[in-house]
Formats: sequence, structure tokens, C-alpha cells
Amino acid sequence: MSRDGITMWLTPFLARPIALIGLCVLLAMVIAAAFAPWLAPYDPYAIHPVSRLMPPDAVHWFGTDQFGRDTLSRAIYSARMALLIGAGVVLFALITGIPIGVFSALFPRLGHVLMRMVDVLMAFPSLLLALGLIVILGPSVANSIIAIGAGYMTTTTRIIYGLALRLRAETYVEASRSMGSGTGWLVVKHILPNLISPLLVQASFVFAFAQLGAASLDFLGLGAPPDIPSWGNMLAESRTFITRAPWLLFFPGMMIVLTAFSLNLVGDALRDRLDPRFRDVFSGEG
Amino acid sequence: MWSYALKRAGATLVTLWAASVIIFAFIHLIPGDPIYVLLGDTATPDQIDRLRHELGLDEPIVVQYLQWAGHALRGDLGQSIFFQAPVTRVIADGAETSILLATMTMVWVVLIGVPIGTIAAVRHGTWLDQGLSGVAMFFASVPTFWVGLYLILIFAATLGWLPSSGYPSIFEGGSGNLRYLLLPSLTLAAPNAALILRLTRASMLDVSREDYVRTARAKGIRPWQVVRRHILRNALLTVVSAFGFTFAALMSEAVVTETVFALPGIGRLVVQSILRRDYPVIQGIILVIVVLYLFINLIVDLAYRFLDPRVELQ
Amino acid sequence: MKSGIGLLARGAAAIVTALFLNAQAQVPANAAGMLREATIGEPPPLDVMVTTADVATTIGRHMFETLYAWDSHYASQPMLADSDKVEDGGKTIVIKLREGVHFHNGKEMTAKDVVASMVRWGKYGSRGKLLMGSATSVEATGKYEVTLKLSSPNGAWKNLLSDVNGGLAIYPEEIASKATGQPIEQKDYIGTGPYKFKEWRPNRYVELEKFAGYKPRKEKGDGFAGARVANFDTIRFIPVPDVGTRVSGVQAGDYDYAEMISGDLYDSLSKDKSVQVQRTNAPIFGLFFMNSKEGILKNNYKLRRAIQTALDKSQALRVAFGPQDLWKAEGSIVPKGTPWYSTAGIEAYSPHDAKKAKEMAKEAGYTGQPIRLLVSTNYQAHYDEAAVFTRQLADAGINVQMNVVDWATLLKMRGQPEQWDIFVTHHSFFPDPILFTFLNASYPGWWDTPEIQKLRAELVNSSDQTARKATWDKIQALIYEQVPVMKVGDAYTYDIASPKLKNLNPNGPAFWNVSTK
Repeated sequence: MSRDGITMWLTPFLARPIALIGLCVLLAMVIAAAFAPWLAPYDPYAIHPVSRLMPPDAVHWFGTDQFGRDTLSRAIYSARMALLIGAGVVLFALITGIPIGVFSALFPRLGHVLMRMVDVLMAFPSLLLALGLIVILGPSVANSIIAIGAGYMTTTTRIIYGLALRLRAETYVEASRSMGSGTGWLVVKHILPNLISPLLVQASFVFAFAQLGAASLDFLGLGAPPDIPSWGNMLAESRTFITRAPWLLFFPGMMIVLTAFSLNLVGDALRDRLDPRFRDVFSGEG
Repeated sequence: MWSYALKRAGATLVTLWAASVIIFAFIHLIPGDPIYVLLGDTATPDQIDRLRHELGLDEPIVVQYLQWAGHALRGDLGQSIFFQAPVTRVIADGAETSILLATMTMVWVVLIGVPIGTIAAVRHGTWLDQGLSGVAMFFASVPTFWVGLYLILIFAATLGWLPSSGYPSIFEGGSGNLRYLLLPSLTLAAPNAALILRLTRASMLDVSREDYVRTARAKGIRPWQVVRRHILRNALLTVVSAFGFTFAALMSEAVVTETVFALPGIGRLVVQSILRRDYPVIQGIILVIVVLYLFINLIVDLAYRFLDPRVELQ
Repeated sequence: MKSGIGLLARGAAAIVTALFLNAQAQVPANAAGMLREATIGEPPPLDVMVTTADVATTIGRHMFETLYAWDSHYASQPMLADSDKVEDGGKTIVIKLREGVHFHNGKEMTAKDVVASMVRWGKYGSRGKLLMGSATSVEATGKYEVTLKLSSPNGAWKNLLSDVNGGLAIYPEEIASKATGQPIEQKDYIGTGPYKFKEWRPNRYVELEKFAGYKPRKEKGDGFAGARVANFDTIRFIPVPDVGTRVSGVQAGDYDYAEMISGDLYDSLSKDKSVQVQRTNAPIFGLFFMNSKEGILKNNYKLRRAIQTALDKSQALRVAFGPQDLWKAEGSIVPKGTPWYSTAGIEAYSPHDAKKAKEMAKEAGYTGQPIRLLVSTNYQAHYDEAAVFTRQLADAGINVQMNVVDWATLLKMRGQPEQWDIFVTHHSFFPDPILFTFLNASYPGWWDTPEIQKLRAELVNSSDQTARKATWDKIQALIYEQVPVMKVGDAYTYDIASPKLKNLNPNGPAFWNVSTK
């Protein structure tokens, strides 16, 4: 990306200090995930039944859970799961959404049928869809990604379809078509590059809501396997101790809120920078 | 116009049929079966096989689908394996809680979301707007069960002002029982009000760029008059259609809230039914929700078409 | 639109005011004679003969009665029975019934009802085979007399007739005789208990009401035995799956009683004046079953012993059940203070010796192959125990891979021997070992070696207590040698109740004789 490109993407954040804070939080999260083994003071899996449910103190800043595991260490390691789920869901939504959406826009006959099928899927409430898929596939990280991703795949496809239709209709695209260039070239040259910025906006929102979706699944006991540290699992395990050890509920909850909030702020700032032609497809979001 | 309506309705029916096949196929893909849950931990294998046969669960899946679909067309969703009662009655029982909860939630959503969204739009670009939008964004980012647990801890367990959980029907205890839904509805309202707030703000800003608003302004009508008479009224068209979807979504998305507050609603019913593999109930609920969604979708679509001549649909 | 919003605003303001005013003024519902119990979940159908689900048992116990019932020391006392005679070296059992007992439909209970119930129980009841499997005939030999003939004596017959859980509840003849393996319908929930079925609002509650025609026994109430007096007009069993919600519900006065509270709240709740704590008098115990049919653990007793050697059971118990009052790392399968207490083989119960375990595993030919552990999170304790053991086994170089699924999936998967090597469940207390699941060769795990076949026959077909105890000692030693199952330890669950409730039942949630006075 050129220097101008970087400035272009940074401007929305410079213009809006709160979005800059969001960006910093996300950066911190990435660092936490990448360097978890060095940052975490203890082994997040180490069990010490004698020192269980300890309140926060100098030794355990966030206290310990019912296995006597260090909550801070688990919270740091959980950033990995959060990134993995978020990125996984976004990738799943894009990998399924881009081909279907773009293809449907280019070939209206088949596209109409495909979009009707997407409509059918959209009729299923996303949380129920995720629940059903998880029970069918069995709980694992990959399956959580598929289950949550299935819900966002539909909305993402719809957005891409809408954008691609508009891009196709635009005269310069029509013009290049009449000059006899092939469909593949058309896609690469005109549609895909123009999709990047709106999809970046969509990606940050999907990333944010995937955090909440994953937490809900974890809370219902249908998310990632409970031995894997994730904020949702930490919440689910600690809700029994809400009166006995309220700090166990507080820290992972705050982590989810901070992450989702930051992502939403970033998405919002990016959207405001977006070409007005594309902005209205997002009006119902965020 | 009418032919469009008919075409739309026809497409909706096809979608519904496809959805029913998906529902049925998916549900029977779930591993495990209701027999084990029904009989408990120590049931013997021959006891299990016998009961599976008696319940007709060993029939080919296509036969089971045709039977179910045939009955569903006549309004009979079958018999709950677990409750030994008609699925329609089981759903109707849960619907009371869900509809009341969704209605109360929508009241908060409208009362909080629309006015504050309007203020943010009118003070567009100011610190007030940024602050309000930021707060809204924050509430849209909070897991509902987290809010719910803290509300219970504060208002029920510590202060004792409101009941912690459950919901006895208003048909038994009178409207006072609505207080059981106060904390859950506030919990659910938090993210949804935030969304409606942002939507109100966005669509008001859109409308304010329209020509007739500029004309009104140019005619020298006072700013608040313009907002009330022209912008708000038109922007609310979008917002009201969003209400429909939010309401439908609340039926099922309330799963987590209903679990936290032990409410006997549709959401918790479906999760519990999935966990105990009560196929007829799961199928029934999802079908009802899908029908509701498609119906609202159809109405909103047609309403747009009839009310707003600018909307062009292929 | 504007006036619409205004109206909404005024309406909402009115609702909020009304709700807050109402909140404090509301009279607790139990003043009207209703007891509200928060159960751990929705029950399956209440046909207690066929289901062994705990929630169904708890509710069903109030409606249906058995011929005998356990007192607070788990000794069988007559309930619907009056007296009995055992003849022919234990092969003929003659039970005399109480006279003047009425069903909820007004009909008097006679020997015909008992015979029809016994036949249905023998064919379709969950635990019926254990007694009726060896029955040659069951007949009404008088209006109030039933004679059961067996092909061989059964030392546990009275215990088998003492609990409704998958047990012989007495149904009216016309219902029992047409009942199949399918649970009976709600309109057929007709028993002889102090409460009768009123209605079942799915997802909301099951409601029972006082049975006016109930005549209590003369003996004083003791455990589940003796006189049963209904002091409440109605009882509502309300499903509240979340334990935190159950606790705050009792604290806030929304429920009068809540089951199965987590151990970590025990200390604080014991001091809390808004609740009373009720610890059960009989422990449940966690069980890790080994696959004897397929896979790496089949017949590999050395490796199984290596696994048990690596474990420190008290760590798992502390994590799963909390304060020391609530658990005991007890190697005897049946707890101390019962006639079945035994020390045979218990030195192998919880050695926690990673080094030795490593050696033993090596000797057994183990080279780090994954061992698949099937566990469900629906029971938090199962998962806690499995998580602790997995860590301990990793320290001994034994590679356990947890497969965490929901309970319904686990129940199905454990029936498929190729799917797992170890699975986790728990067992309720039972006063006679004959009912233990691991002695049942068709229960997943499928422990059926020649040694246990022989000992099992000895245990079942004898009515001499001393001989049966000697057999049980041998069985327990064999359990520690062949390790078909590992016992985690004894856990005492506890319930909480409103401080207003008096005379709670020490055997568990049973609300006859309970009152607010």
C-alpha cells in the first residue's frame, strides 16, 4: 500500500480520538495473543485445588478460579481464542460470501435462485442456527467458527451481492463489457478492488459480533471445549460463583466488552470514510 | 401491484417449504436421541429399542418427514415426546412469556432508542452526538447475560426490589406479575435500544439530505418543526420496519436471557428441547419462528412497495 | 406518530411505578398454602416405573408409593405393605397389603393392582428385571395378599421394592395392565400418595395438590417411611436449570426450596440468614467407567491400574464439591456406617504416585496412545473431575483426550463401544450393592469377566447377609484389581430452603410432613 493509502486509512482514526483508542486496544489484544506465554504470569492450565477462588491480590491480580488457576493468565491466553474465532468467522463469511455474492450479481438467472437460498437460510434466527449446528457437529473451535459463521455468511453475502449489482450496473463496467473483455477480467478489474473497503467495514462488525456470539454459545455450554481458555468459557464457569467470587465474572466480561466495543468503534470510523455510494448498505448494522 | 403481491407471497411459500425440509433434515442429524433422556441413566438396551419403535422413531426419515409435514399443513405440529402434550399447546404456553417479554423490551427500545437517536441526529457532529453514539456502541458490545447476571445480583439478590427469576403467568397473578419481566426486558433492551438509536440517527441524517427537507428549511420553517414534521416522520418509516424484525428476532435471540432469568419462554424451550432431543418441539418452534420472520418480511416488503413509490424491485 | 410515542411513554411510566410499588407489597405465594420448589430442570414424563431420571423421581415420589420405603437409615419399612412372610428358603414371598388405601381416583387398592403393577414393572420397568427376571409367578392370593414365587432366592428383594426410581410404584390395575414401554399418559398419573397430579405446564411447572383421601400410616414419619402428612395445598416443581438463579431465587423468596446447590456456596449459604441449608444424608459418588469391550483398555488391567495409581481423588473432589464437609475420599464403594462397608483393595483407591504409574503403564505396553475420555458438561462435577484427572495423568505420561459432549449425546455414544475408552457418570446411594450399574453386564463398560460372573451370581442368589457381605468384599477387591470402574469419592449434595420451612426430609426433597409452622 502506498504512503497515500496509509494516510487515507489512518485519517478516520486521527479525526476521531476514540476510534484511535479502539485501535490501540485491538493492537494490545493482538500482542497479548501473540506473546501470551511470555506475558502470562502463570501456566493457564495449572491446577491448584488448595488456592482456589482467591480474590485478586498481589500474587494473582485477577484472582483464581475454581480449579485454582490464575485468572489473569487465562484471560491473556483467551485473547488467542477471541482472535481465532473472530478471524475464523470473518474468513468463513468472506470465503463463502464473495463467490456467491459476486457470481449471483454477474449471472442474474442462477443468481436469483442462489439468493433465494440465502433468503431461506436468513429466515433461521442466527443464534438458533448456531446452536443447532454445534449440537450436530459437536463442540470444537472449528465447529464454533462454522456455527457462528453460518449466521454472518448470509448477511455478508447479501451485502456483497448488493454492492456487486451496483458496481456491475455502473456504466464503466458496462462499457468494458461491451468492448468484449471476459467475465473473469471484469471481476478482477472492477468489482473485487471496489469491494475491499466496504468489506473491511463489514469484517470489523462481524468480528465484533462474533465475540458476542461465541460468548453466548460458551455460556450455554455449547461453545469451545471448556478446557480451552476463552472469555466466554471463563464467564460460563464462574456464573455459579457470582456471589462467592464476583471478580471471576467481572474480568472476562470486561475483556469481551472492550474487544467488541473497540472493533465497533473501528468499523464505525472506517464506515464514515467510505464512499457514500456504499454507505447505505450498512445502515442497519452496528 | 397485486400481481407483485401474489408473486411475493408465492415465493414466500416456496421458501417456507425449503425451510421445512432443512429443519427436518438438520434436526435428525443431531446425534443422540430422546429415548435416552426419557428413560434416564440406567435404561437397558432392549427397553430403549422397544420405546424407539413404539414412538415411530425407527421409521425411515422420509416417511417421518411426510407425516410431519402432512400434519403441519393441517395445523397439527405433533406430540411432544417429553411433555406428552401437543406441540401447539407447548408453544402457545411459551409464547405468552416471549411475546410479553418482547413487547416490554420494545417499549424500552422505543423510549430510549428513538428520542436519543433523534437528539444525536439533530446535534449531528457535536460532542453530544459523539458521546451518545459512543454510549450506544458500548451497549451494543455488551454480552446480554453479563448484564443480566449483574442486574440479578444488584436488584434481586442484594436490594430485593425485584424478583430474581421465573415468571408466573399474568392470567394467574394479575398484571403485577409483569415485574418479573422488568429486569429481563431491560437486559434485552440494552443492545437493541442501542441498535435502534443508531438506526434512527442514521436514517434521520439520510432524510435530512433529501430535497423536500431542504425546501422546508429554505421556506424558513423553524428547525425543530422541520425535524418533527418532516425528518422524524419519514425517517421512522425505516425504523418502524426494523421494529418488526427486532420483534421477531427477540423470540429466539432471548434464549440466553431466558436461561439467566429462568423464564418459561420460547427461546429457553427450544434450547432445552435441543438438549433433550424433543424433535417435534424443536421442529415446531423453528417452523413458527421462520413463518413469523417470513410473514414480517413479506409485510414490510409490500408496505414499502405500496407506501414508497421510489422503491423499485425487480 | 408523536402522540403514539407520548402514549407509550405514559404507559411505560405507569407500568414501572406499578411494578415497583407492587414489588414490596406482594404477599409471598406460600402464604396461600403453596410450596414452590426449584428443580434442576424439566422432568421427563412422570412414569416412575420406566424412568430413572432424578427430577421425575423427586416429583413422582409425592404421587406414587411403593410397597416398602426407606427410613432415614435406609432400612426398608412397610409402606403400602403391611407385613410379609418369606418361605421355601427365600423362593416364595408373601406380602400382606394395608387395607383401606385409596387411589387418587377413589378406588381402593387391592392385590390385583399390585399384581398388574408387578407384571408391568417386570416387563418394562427400568429395574424390574433384577427381581422379576427370576420370578416364576406372581398372584393375588387374597384381596389383600400377593404371592411372588422365584426360581432362586433374592437377597435384595425388599430394597428393590422400596424406591420409586425405576421401581415398583403401585398403579391401578386398569392403567398398569394396558401400559407398555411408553411412559403412561398424564391422565393416568394416578397413585396412592399424599399428593395427586394437578397439571403440567410445559417449561413452567408441574403442580401437585393435596389428596384429601390419603390415610397416613400410624408410625411416625422417618425418612421416606412412616406417616406422610400433606401440609401444603399444592406443590409446584419449577424448572430452574441455572444454579445461581436457584440460589438467588430462594434468597429473594421466589422459591421455597432449591435442589443441588454447588459446593462452593456452602460456607456462605450456611451463614446466610435468608436460607437454611439441608445436606443429604447419603452420598452420591462419581464413576469413571472403563471400556471392557473394545479399545486400548479392554482386558488391559495393568494399564487400568496404572491410571488409578496416578490419581489424587481428593484434588478432584475439592474442585468439584468445595468444602471438606461435602465430600470424602472414601475407597470403600459403600460408605462407612452401612453393613456393606469394606476395606478390601482400597489401598489402590487413590495413590497419587505419578512415577509408579509411569512404570506400570510402561509394563502394560503403553506408549502414549491417546485414551479417549467421554464427559458431559451438563453435570459440572463430572467435568471438573475429568479435568483434574486429565492433568494428573498427563504428569504420569498418560495421554488422555477429553471429548466433551452434551448429556444426551453422551448417553447415546457410550452405548457404542468403538467411541470411547473411559466415560464419566455418577451413582446415587443405594443400600444394596445389587443395584450398582457396574454389576450389570449390559450397562456400558460391559464388565463381564468370568470372575465377576461367578461372584455376581453368588451375591444375587443368596439371602444370607453374612455370606453376601463376604461375596461383596471379594467383588470390591476384584474392582480394584480389574478396574472396570474407578470410584471418585463420596459427595454429599445439599439443598437450600426458606428458613420458614420446618421438618425437612433428611433423605432428600420430599415435602410431606414439611410445614411452615
